[in-house]
Amino acid sequence: MSTATNITHKPRRRLVSKDARRALIMWLVFIPLGFVIVVPLAYMVTMAFTTEANQFVLPINWIPQPPTLQNFIKIFADPLLPLGRWFFNSLLVATVGTLLILFVSSLSGYAFARLEFPGRDMLFSLLLFSLMIPAAITLIPAFLLLRTLGLLDTYHAIWWPAAASVTGIFLLRQHFYSIPQELEDAARVDGANRFRIYWQISLPLVRGALLALAIFSFLGLWNDLFWPLIVLNKQANLTLPIGLVVLQQGSYIQRGLAFAGAFVATTPVLIFYAVFQRQIISGITTTGMAGQ
Amino acid sequence: MSTVTASATLKSRRWKTLRDQLPNYLFILPHFILFTLFLLYPIFRGLQISLFDWKIMLTEQKWVGLANYEALWNDKVFWQVLGNTFWFMIITVIINVALALVVASGLKHRFYGSDILRVLFYAPGIISVSVLGIIAIRVWEPQIGIINYYVTNMLGGPRVMWYSNPSLVIPVLSITTVWWTFGFPMLVFIAGLHNIPEALYEAAKIDGAGLFGSFRHITIPLIMPTMLFVVVTQFIAHMQVFAQPYIITGGGPGNASRSVVQYLYETAWKYFRYGYASTISVVLALIMIVVTIIMFWLMRRRTEY
Repeated sequence: MSTATNITHKPRRRLVSKDARRALIMWLVFIPLGFVIVVPLAYMVTMAFTTEANQFVLPINWIPQPPTLQNFIKIFADPLLPLGRWFFNSLLVATVGTLLILFVSSLSGYAFARLEFPGRDMLFSLLLFSLMIPAAITLIPAFLLLRTLGLLDTYHAIWWPAAASVTGIFLLRQHFYSIPQELEDAARVDGANRFRIYWQISLPLVRGALLALAIFSFLGLWNDLFWPLIVLNKQANLTLPIGLVVLQQGSYIQRGLAFAGAFVATTPVLIFYAVFQRQIISGITTTGMAGQ
Repeated sequence: MSTVTASATLKSRRWKTLRDQLPNYLFILPHFILFTLFLLYPIFRGLQISLFDWKIMLTEQKWVGLANYEALWNDKVFWQVLGNTFWFMIITVIINVALALVVASGLKHRFYGSDILRVLFYAPGIISVSVLGIIAIRVWEPQIGIINYYVTNMLGGPRVMWYSNPSLVIPVLSITTVWWTFGFPMLVFIAGLHNIPEALYEAAKIDGAGLFGSFRHITIPLIMPTMLFVVVTQFIAHMQVFAQPYIITGGGPGNASRSVVQYLYETAWKYFRYGYASTISVVLALIMIVVTIIMFWLMRRRTEY
């Protein structure tokens, strides 16, 4: 009895518990890095609310003196810089693109996980093989094809190539695998056809993976500069990332405007990130999804 | 007689299965059409276009054989931008991987606020490269930027021209890119580190290994599979760098920070030489595929023990 109490290791009482000490050490180590991460973001926010005249004042007034909305008013009022329009365009591009990716990838991912048909494994290997080919090589032929189809300077030129991506298929296939076969069998016995099984039984069971795919697709489409730069042309059709590049060119060199534009483009994704941070972090740590 | 009926029923059963399986193709059809149009066909089409002097306005393109490849071989600018790209990729990947692994080693533990730090360190990764550009132009600005405010105004150092110095511009773009992207490998490393049994670290501690010793002898060898994934994906991403130099420096000073993809972009969409641009893309793709295979081969050998 007495030996038993001795063996049971009671945590020694300390003024500061071991956990708190570890937390303290870690925070001390990581504060400098956190500082480096935060300062440029804070800088953008500060400068967006700083008057053009005060853009060059050093040391920086982190709380703008006086705070101003003039940068925002200017960019939203300037007909040559239709920021509101670009914002809406980006929203349209990202939303429709995401829905399309979800639909196309889930259908295909389901088939590769659950259905049988001749050549299935060979076709899947083909998708795998395509992962090895750098995107750079597809740029020009894809552009020329869209030109032939007359889809340049429309959002179809962004949506359809985006839905050709294979990463979503790999992710969803993995999750469709983990659904118990019995559930589908039961539905089949009840007379449901394969499309209904996919839509009503299997799809709701991979909600988590669909959400992760949706988040990363949306962020990718919202932020992308390179492909829209190639396929979009008219000022009114541009998306925000291109608009921000335009904001920095030529006569629009005013710094405050660029920061205000950056703020407008970033705030939605920051809110988005705050809401979905758990899914985003675990999406990466469990699947290694989403690169740059 | 009996064998004939048997094979006939077998055949009809096979037909029945096939007919039953035929609708399954409908599931993969939408993606497969897009995949063929925008990924598969362009790969081969790109190879083909690189053999032409392709001009967008012409109805008939001129076949030039390997002339584009020969011109590329003799193209001094191409060699320079290839060197720039490799230099940028190497610095970025090394700093990204080292920083991500060290930070992940700390953040793999749960402690008060560890979730906040994870979310914070990944945060720059969700901004658009255009926003990154706007911020980075100002942060490194020689006269009014934050960096020189500390370097020059506070510490009395020289007023460094970060972007107009040809030997500094690529490292500066690399550091900017690390700020933007290290959160991704960090999260992947955290996941990888969780697969290393904690008992190993405790055993090493009992044997008298310090923090550095256990990092060197346990973490490094056991993280190799994750390391392979991270290094390969980082390599692929940063070899195709475009937007950071395009927005921040425009490729300058001179060609000092121009990347292969920017050169490709300008060749195709500024000078409309699609054939030559395709040649650039094919050569870049080949280089990347070869290096990726070499990395797999090297790391495989190191992982086996």
